[in-house]
Amino acid sequence: DIDDVGHKYYLELELEDVLDKDRTVKCTAEVLYHLGSKASAPDVQLTVQGELRSTEEADKEFYNRIRSLEKELVAENIPDSHGNVPPALEPIHLLAWVASGYVTWQNSTENTKFHLAQVKHVKQVKRSDEDLQFDYVLLLHEMVSQEVLPWEVTVLWHPQRGARVSQCQGPGAGN
Amino acid sequence: HQVLRIKTKNEEEVKQLQLLESLEHLELDFWINPSAPALPVDVRIPAVSVQSVKAFLESQGIEYSILIEDLQDVLDKEKQDMAESAQRQRSSSFDFGAYHTLDDINAELDHLASEYSFVEKIQIGESYEKRPLYVLKFSTGGSKRPAIWLDAGIHSREWVTQASALWIANKIASDYGTDASITSLLDKMDLFLLPVANPDGFVYTHTSNRMWRKTRSKNPGSICIGVDPNRNWDAGFGGPGASNKPCSDSYHGPSANSEVEVKSVVDFIKNHGNFKAFLTLHSYSQLLMYPYGYKCTRPDDYAELESLGRAAANSIRSLYGTTFQVGTICSTIYQASGGSIDWSYDNGIKYSFAFELRDTGRYGFLLPANQIVPAAKETWLGLKRIMEHVRDKSS
Repeated sequence: DIDDVGHKYYLELELEDVLDKDRTVKCTAEVLYHLGSKASAPDVQLTVQGELRSTEEADKEFYNRIRSLEKELVAENIPDSHGNVPPALEPIHLLAWVASGYVTWQNSTENTKFHLAQVKHVKQVKRSDEDLQFDYVLLLHEMVSQEVLPWEVTVLWHPQRGARVSQCQGPGAGN
Repeated sequence: HQVLRIKTKNEEEVKQLQLLESLEHLELDFWINPSAPALPVDVRIPAVSVQSVKAFLESQGIEYSILIEDLQDVLDKEKQDMAESAQRQRSSSFDFGAYHTLDDINAELDHLASEYSFVEKIQIGESYEKRPLYVLKFSTGGSKRPAIWLDAGIHSREWVTQASALWIANKIASDYGTDASITSLLDKMDLFLLPVANPDGFVYTHTSNRMWRKTRSKNPGSICIGVDPNRNWDAGFGGPGASNKPCSDSYHGPSANSEVEVKSVVDFIKNHGNFKAFLTLHSYSQLLMYPYGYKCTRPDDYAELESLGRAAANSIRSLYGTTFQVGTICSTIYQASGGSIDWSYDNGIKYSFAFELRDTGRYGFLLPANQIVPAAKETWLGLKRIMEHVRDKSS
């Protein structure tokens, strides 16, 4: 407890690579939840102690594949009701997961627990610059309230520059 | 063989492709014939001609992409899939490793009841939309023997639970007489299994909204439908951890037992009068919990329930290494009032446990079907451990 500031948590984490189960990396993190009811994202400092696997080749392959599509990619319900993800859409699913991490971070309090429930819809938007753009509708499940709500998230991605959320709109916004 | 998609830019290129089409010795198979510049041309090319056709297109500056790299691979896979599907249909009438509709589940309940003399399908009530609430009764004799209650799918989107309940029903039925533990269990006690505790919600997850959780009852004065059936039991009803807003996914309802799906179970258990255990399946999070949820104090039987919970979690882990966290609802997940196992515990059913099955969030409610049987198998080991303890304490 930090008087007049908020609650700080010191964490020791072990990251497991979802695509390479035997690979783990240790991390430490400091998370500060601010006091008060004003909605503000917690401060996060993260140190990765070790190396993350290189994904350069797979990134390049994905980037080139999407860039060479004549028609913009459109998909919905990833995974489907039965938990299936077509292999070609797996990177789209993973990118959605990254984006949901951003939304989770921006909207977390000490009393929330978010998970990505499903990619309801995704639409690629062709750009004149080097980035790939995907407009997502992500369904996020919040454990405490049990609500599953849609978030509209625009994600930019580039093999070297990585993922950025350029726009994010929560449920009921814009009414 | 490869299948190419050719994008023509103008009439001239279309004519070139029509020329190609006329060269019969190439044995080209056009899936979409060249007709107008705006439309793609799909063509299957026998292996021997692939290189020369590509060379031709490139020399003419005609754009193409590879639609199917190796057609034989695709055909082989399709053949394999169909053979596997046919074999599944031949060997058993019910695929426990797949998700099913309510009608298919009910048909399987009938099948189990007809195949095993000690299995009976009974109806304990009707849902809001008038669907029957079917319970499988496992009883090898006696008269109102001490009984165990097991339900699944009270929250309709938690599909691995209804699916696991079916596998478990089949497991118990088929292993009676050969498995020592199940045999001694059913020789002393009765088991009542409700695989789809919320059939209206379940149908809704198939037809309209895969993420639906609640019942489908109308709320007077609100456009929002449904009550959270696991906030509707008479245990700390209306307290913290439940919402009083009809549009909320944790809405507790206008009063305790307002939901017919809940009331039917309450009445059945009260009328029976001899239940010793109340077990309920949820997903996801991999947790094994006992009371209380509506208050954050420990139940009187804390030591025994904690110890039994840990033993059950160890049994679960022994199969595939899946870890379940053990504890009271309040300390493990969150404070939540009006829950079923709090009601059963406060009504004299000591062995009250709630399971949250796989996974921990990667797929969440959308658990891939190939994990149904592993999840059911490991969960069954945990349930069995608890049931064995109940059996030993009840005799």
